[in-house]
Amino acid sequence: MIKNKHGRTAALFIAPSFLPLIAFFILPMLAAGVLSFTSWDLLSPPQWIGLDNFRELIVDKDFLLSLRNTLLFIAGYLPLVYFLGLAAALALNRKFKGSTGLRAAYFLPVVTSWVIVALLWKWILNPNGGLVNSGLAAIGIEGPGWWASKEWSMISVIVPSAWKDLGYVMLILLAGLQAIPPEYKEAASIDGASKRQILFRITLPLLTPATFFVLVISLINNFQVFDQIWVMTEGGPEGSTSVVVQQIVKNSFEYGHMGYASALSMVLFLIIMIITAAQVRLQKRWVKYE
Amino acid sequence: MLFPFLWMVSSSLKNSVEAFATPPTLFPKEPTLENYRNVFRLLDMPRLFLNSIVVSLVCVFLQLATSALAGYAFARLQFKAKNAIFLVYLATMMIPFQVIIVPLFIGMRQFGLIDSYVGMGLPMIASAFGVFLMRQAMLAIPRELEEAAILDGANHFRLFFSVALPLCIPTLAALGILSFMSVWNAYLWPLVIIFSPEKMTLPLALSNLHGENLTDWPMVMAATTIATLPIAIVYLILQKQIAQSFLTAGLKG
Amino acid sequence: MKGITRKLWATGIAGLLVAGVGLVSNPIVAASKTTVNFFTFTAVPDHMTELKAMVAAFEKKNPTIHINIQSAAYDDYFTKLKTRVAGRQTPDTFELNYENFVTYAAAGTLLDLNKASAKDKTFKKATYYGKAYDVFNLKGKQLGVPSSFSTVVMYYNKDLFKAAGVAFPTSKWDWSDEAAAAAQLKAKLPEGTYADFQPTQFWEFYKVLGQAGGKFLSADKKTALFNKQPGINALTWLVSKTQNGYTPTKAQMGTMDDGAMFKAGKLAMHHTGIWMFDAYKDVPFGWDIVVQPGGVTPGNHFFANAVVASATTKNPAAAWKWARFMTSDPAAVKIRLAAGWEIPAISDKKALSIYLSQPVPANREAVFEALKFPVTPPVIRQQNEMQDTVNAWLEKALSGSVSVTEALNSAAKDVNAILAKE
Repeated sequence: MIKNKHGRTAALFIAPSFLPLIAFFILPMLAAGVLSFTSWDLLSPPQWIGLDNFRELIVDKDFLLSLRNTLLFIAGYLPLVYFLGLAAALALNRKFKGSTGLRAAYFLPVVTSWVIVALLWKWILNPNGGLVNSGLAAIGIEGPGWWASKEWSMISVIVPSAWKDLGYVMLILLAGLQAIPPEYKEAASIDGASKRQILFRITLPLLTPATFFVLVISLINNFQVFDQIWVMTEGGPEGSTSVVVQQIVKNSFEYGHMGYASALSMVLFLIIMIITAAQVRLQKRWVKYE
Repeated sequence: MLFPFLWMVSSSLKNSVEAFATPPTLFPKEPTLENYRNVFRLLDMPRLFLNSIVVSLVCVFLQLATSALAGYAFARLQFKAKNAIFLVYLATMMIPFQVIIVPLFIGMRQFGLIDSYVGMGLPMIASAFGVFLMRQAMLAIPRELEEAAILDGANHFRLFFSVALPLCIPTLAALGILSFMSVWNAYLWPLVIIFSPEKMTLPLALSNLHGENLTDWPMVMAATTIATLPIAIVYLILQKQIAQSFLTAGLKG
Repeated sequence: MKGITRKLWATGIAGLLVAGVGLVSNPIVAASKTTVNFFTFTAVPDHMTELKAMVAAFEKKNPTIHINIQSAAYDDYFTKLKTRVAGRQTPDTFELNYENFVTYAAAGTLLDLNKASAKDKTFKKATYYGKAYDVFNLKGKQLGVPSSFSTVVMYYNKDLFKAAGVAFPTSKWDWSDEAAAAAQLKAKLPEGTYADFQPTQFWEFYKVLGQAGGKFLSADKKTALFNKQPGINALTWLVSKTQNGYTPTKAQMGTMDDGAMFKAGKLAMHHTGIWMFDAYKDVPFGWDIVVQPGGVTPGNHFFANAVVASATTKNPAAAWKWARFMTSDPAAVKIRLAAGWEIPAISDKKALSIYLSQPVPANREAVFEALKFPVTPPVIRQQNEMQDTVNAWLEKALSGSVSVTEALNSAAKDVNAILAKE
């Protein structure tokens, strides 16, 4: 049984994290799954209603809009945050004067609360005399309505999100870069490889485990994006930035439709799980460990 | 990049008239410590800090330990249903917390853990994110380094403690920072499980500075600055570990 | 590396020890006392001291009862409350505002206080401001006692009025007077200053509807009536303020809210609640309040908060005593008024004179004048859903995406669907 060669050892290694996660996450998730077949206002006992919640959500315009918005957000945010974080990690991977300070500077937005970052970006992107629009006006262009307009609101939340999170991507990728033995790069350099070749043939491939991680985690997290959008635009204007988790939060506690909210989160869960499982399956093709 | 942090600090030093002046000023013309005084007047800071620090340190330590162990298992051990179990770990991250908070609360009540430190900390002692991160880090360790130890007759526990763990210091440090941030800022669960004011954590108490219709923003900025400092400190301490070169770590191990 | 590992272990064990000690050393309340929990949001953040003073006064009068204060900010309050109710940890006593009252009352969460109040020989219903008391009665059951009430008035910046040469508002004004003044102010005031702030949203809309002589819902709460002519007039009036540039758009407000704008001297007229008195105390310009100008008739908000008790509390008698004390006992009323912590919902005019005699704003009588023409909020069990639905259509009308009539008809259609599920 080669497949289970280390069964007992593995159990000991896994149990300390697995058991708590089962107890405090999986079990409540299963409860939520059951609740998705009920109608529950939290104040009176849940009422069984079968598939009604699911029938409702398929035609729920607000939900469908929020799903579309969430996908748009990810499509814009993910490439932006990855490439910005990668650039920062590559640039700051060497020790030079001020590199520690710069790394700290890039990480500081990650640590700062969203309330503050949102205020800052609302001011930068203020349609009336904000930094960006004032700059545009100086060269004769009328700036867009940014977070106050339906068309530009999504970009107005994507950019601050990527800006704030790039330090976090940078941190992960830096740790990954640091784990690449310098001998590999030295050997290649001695062999006459150019910096560009080293980057694309050695560094980036060896960084694929960290990249895989960033990709999977970012997708899981940002399908559930909510806090920052709520602080910046409250899902508006006119629902142009409303996302799935906003629908879930609204329905759960505010409306007292906990059953419906659970059903929505089951659908979200399924979407995320399918995408993640596919990524895990596909990792053999492009992720190089060693 | 530094701007929001600086702005937060400078807002916390402004009086309420200047705080809303347009255009906003970066450096307060009349800096005042009044907001900080108000925060200390309204909140029992020492107690809140103690609560937050104890819960954070304990949970971060446990998250690091349990994540490293499981990460090693996924990276180096062969066992049944490995991929399925890994997906179960990831699954715990795929559902918004608002949806599981009520079942979790009811479960905690069954064990008499409502309004307790243990009840607050338990959901944070393990982290699927941490397990994933450590798995990636351990997968990247060159096998040659372990082969030497295996030839010496080391079992997996020895391999874990003596070879794998030391080589993962940069990732552990990164995880330490991120875990600390997540536990320190944890909000929704402490909100719901803690009733007694003396058991509150700092972010929770911070939100109690918001009134229904009025919020004293400069004071909130002061409180937020205070609450952000420990994370910044933890980052500064641990980021040195991330910067440590692989070469040195490999030689010493 | 080894050093760090050791340090980590040490910290971990130390932390566990401290946590363990903390667990064990919970305060033990004297076994002979009855403990009653009180969950509040109105005391957060500025009035915890006053609340503790009320508790101290109560416990002195009732030595066998201990009140345990638990609090949360308003934005978190209902999440926490609902979780507690779902987990059968409902607080013995807690606060509700009227908008949320029906949801909890209809679900059977609240204790019928008539039983305890009937046994209480010194209790007189007339202590309370009549309307405030009745509003918390559902189908004959008294499910709460009012702790405070408030309303919305029109604030005005005297300096801006003087600079523009416009006469101050009076209590005789109606919409046309307000519109005329706004036009004059707009012509004279500098860019970035606005003549008349009144947002287009649910709470303003149902009040303005009342001023237009309309009703939001039918008496049996089964049909929406706000899309009839009075509703069209009301929404047109609101939307016109933004269209004419009297009320700033969200883009124009930028990162400031209306309170900040008024404080910065950027609003000449400002419709907002009396809870802003404290916030505006120290502004560098002269200001005062006046009853909001009426439409076809005057109409003003009537907001009320109540102290309620859990239907499953183990101490209903003690809960009643605290609820009654906190809301109407002269000692508690005095503490409240001295601190400017909302207006107690009592009928005793003499006690309320403390409120009237405070200097800023000068025209405090306007508050009680406003209450002569109250517009009660339309409140149903699915309150939040109805509010959000209406707000979404109002937003569309404001931005011009749909016409006023279209918005109201669509909103009425959606609200009727919600009412069908009540």
